[in-house]
Amino acid sequence: MGIFTGWTRYTKLLIGLAFGLPLMLFAFVALVDPYDVVPFSPPMARPPMDINQRFMYPAIVRRGAYDSAVFGTSTSRLLVPDQLNAAIGGRFANLAMNAATAYEQYRLADLFLRRTPRPKAVIFGLDAPWCSGKADVERFTFRPFPPWMYDDDRWNDLAYLLNGKTLEIAGRLVGHHLGLMPQRIGWDGYERFVPPEESYDAARARGHIYAETSGRIERREPPEPVSEAMRASWRFPALGWLDDLLARLPAETDKLILFTPVHLIAQPVAGSAAAAQEEACKQQVVALAQRHKARVIDFRIDSDITRNDLNYWDKLHFRTPIADRLVSLIAEARSGADAAPAHGLYRVLAP
Amino acid sequence: MLFQTQSFLLLFLPVTLALFYAAANRPAAREWVIVLASVLFYGAWDARFVPLLIGQTLLTWGMAGLALRTGRRGLLTLGIALNLVVLAFFKYAGFAVETVEALLGVALPRHEIALPIGISFITFELISYLVDVKRGEVGLHRFRAFCLYTFFFPHLVAGPIVRHNELIPQLAASPLRPGVAERMGRGLSLLILGLGQKVFLADRLAKIADPVFAPGAQPGFGAAWEGALAFSLQLFFDFAAYTDMALGIALMFGITLPRNFDTPYRALDLREFWRRWHMTLSRWIRDYLYIPLGGNRHGTGRYIAATMIAMTLCGLWHGAAWTFVVWGAMHGAGLLVVHLWQGAGGRMPAPLAWLVTMLFVLIGWVLFRAPDFAHAGQVLAAMVHPAAVALTLKKLPWLLLLAAALSVVRPTAAEFAERRLVANWPVAVALAGLAVAAILDVGEGKPVSFIYFQF
Repeated sequence: MGIFTGWTRYTKLLIGLAFGLPLMLFAFVALVDPYDVVPFSPPMARPPMDINQRFMYPAIVRRGAYDSAVFGTSTSRLLVPDQLNAAIGGRFANLAMNAATAYEQYRLADLFLRRTPRPKAVIFGLDAPWCSGKADVERFTFRPFPPWMYDDDRWNDLAYLLNGKTLEIAGRLVGHHLGLMPQRIGWDGYERFVPPEESYDAARARGHIYAETSGRIERREPPEPVSEAMRASWRFPALGWLDDLLARLPAETDKLILFTPVHLIAQPVAGSAAAAQEEACKQQVVALAQRHKARVIDFRIDSDITRNDLNYWDKLHFRTPIADRLVSLIAEARSGADAAPAHGLYRVLAP
Repeated sequence: MLFQTQSFLLLFLPVTLALFYAAANRPAAREWVIVLASVLFYGAWDARFVPLLIGQTLLTWGMAGLALRTGRRGLLTLGIALNLVVLAFFKYAGFAVETVEALLGVALPRHEIALPIGISFITFELISYLVDVKRGEVGLHRFRAFCLYTFFFPHLVAGPIVRHNELIPQLAASPLRPGVAERMGRGLSLLILGLGQKVFLADRLAKIADPVFAPGAQPGFGAAWEGALAFSLQLFFDFAAYTDMALGIALMFGITLPRNFDTPYRALDLREFWRRWHMTLSRWIRDYLYIPLGGNRHGTGRYIAATMIAMTLCGLWHGAAWTFVVWGAMHGAGLLVVHLWQGAGGRMPAPLAWLVTMLFVLIGWVLFRAPDFAHAGQVLAAMVHPAAVALTLKKLPWLLLLAAALSVVRPTAAEFAERRLVANWPVAVALAGLAVAAILDVGEGKPVSFIYFQF
């Protein structure tokens, strides 16, 4: 093409490219529909191809293929849906999201309950964000959260599809169908996000576990005094969302609340005010659970699981054999065994 | 509706243009297309204020018509007063209550009144028409043409502050007159250049400036300078980008709007700065405030008073807060000093003159941006902190350097698009690339509003 001059050709070319290209890109994204939100996209397999689960899990929920679900953060992500199906019953999706705030988990669970109002079983894997006093203020992280995916209007989603990120995910999905990119996250949301077991290195893991800690404090002696005024100031705003979710679940749904087992170093030091505050949070959860007939199993305690460095990749993330063990311990607890079993790996706070 | 949103660029604008050109041979139809599209554009922000916009326009036109028919010129003064009352009520009532409360130490009843977007710009345009009628410079415009003068969506929200006699005569010309492809091409090019400035410069600079001026921030020496410089450049590119987009869009409809910027950060003195910065506001203040107050032709006393009143009101026009008032007064005082210095034959080398002018402007912008005097004082104090000596740059502020260089480049985007643009395919491809990148970028999240929309 030689360099032309002339306004008609210039203007046609500029309009064609400046408006035409974005419209073509939009058509590409809308047809590939990587988030499975476009009402008119052609049918094709759309496995989750994004890294940010906040964008991928609404589609899993909307498809409605699972009558049971796990909600939580990365500390619940390693629970294998197939194992849960066998241990509890139901068809589980694992919808726990990395570093999700309580509010983000609430939004996803809320969507799930709107799509599946009578689930067979629901597991809420609770950890520190649920007991945070700032949960109602710090509702999101720096990671993008797409509220438009969480409403019931799929047409408004069209306004959010033309951007580099969505193009990239659409490209990945096309790459997947061309056999160039493997599916990372399962259709049921499960992903083993930790490295393979054979690459585990105890020294390295210890380095991670104790990275931000100079020494291990076992217990504060004497215990830190906790005044009534301090107790009165503790707020657990996220528990209102949990209350709402539990209230909406029908009686026949198997409702299970877990306090997930992070390493002891990531738990408040026994005897500290923080530990007292966390215990108060747990008690409020128990009160909620009793009101809504939910079971509460607490793995977030001092136990052989949480004490042993070899069980962890870092202070928050246990290894996959521990995840498998958790499922069998959940089955054990559900069978009506001792509320405080001798092995001391959990305590049943609400049977 | 913001110019840089996908819904505006890919839906509203193409549809409005298509309807406008489909009706190009029928003047009434094409004018109604713009009037209705503009009302829709304005209503997309807050439909509650559409009746206010229409009412204020109707009132102004009606008062002018009545005054011209009956010869009662007092109606024009009343029209001006009513426009000022509307502006005062929506923009300054809360500020006045707060000030009285602070002075008297009493709590007064407060009503939270949302600020109708663009009210400062619209009111100034309507007042200028009434003043011109009063001066006998103009008669009664056609109703539809007058509505179009006020509503025309490219300039509706944040200017440029157009004069009726600049815009209304252009409406008679057919948009299909010779040169339509050229106007469309130049207009779209300017729109894209403005879009690029907004998305890739102003919004990025905001991320540097905002933390420094956030409530509770305690910037050190480096951060304070970085924040002040970033805001100075952000404000320029934000407003220049908006204006370029407004001019470009208007040109796509065959209408030429006045320019608003001419590389203000090249100014060597404060008078030059105001001839180059927000030129249509400077022009308005000169013609409708400064000169009627006496200007510089009635002795030094009147000159000082006219300058100080005009610039203080200019400050107040920007925002209902004492920081804006002081910012305006500071510029008034600066202009007087420049006048006296130059009148006494004072000269300084160009680089020094530029440095002094830019420092003055920079200090002004800190006051302009800061939420209150305390915060402004804190940022300014940090900028002269002795830690200056120990300053080490961790990394080069590339964005600041690039933006600073681009802010003084000539030709300006508007001059380039309107005069210098060569219509060949490499330019079209480059501009289209910029447009696609910007459109994809704005799709990432919530669009950042234009700073001048709050005025």
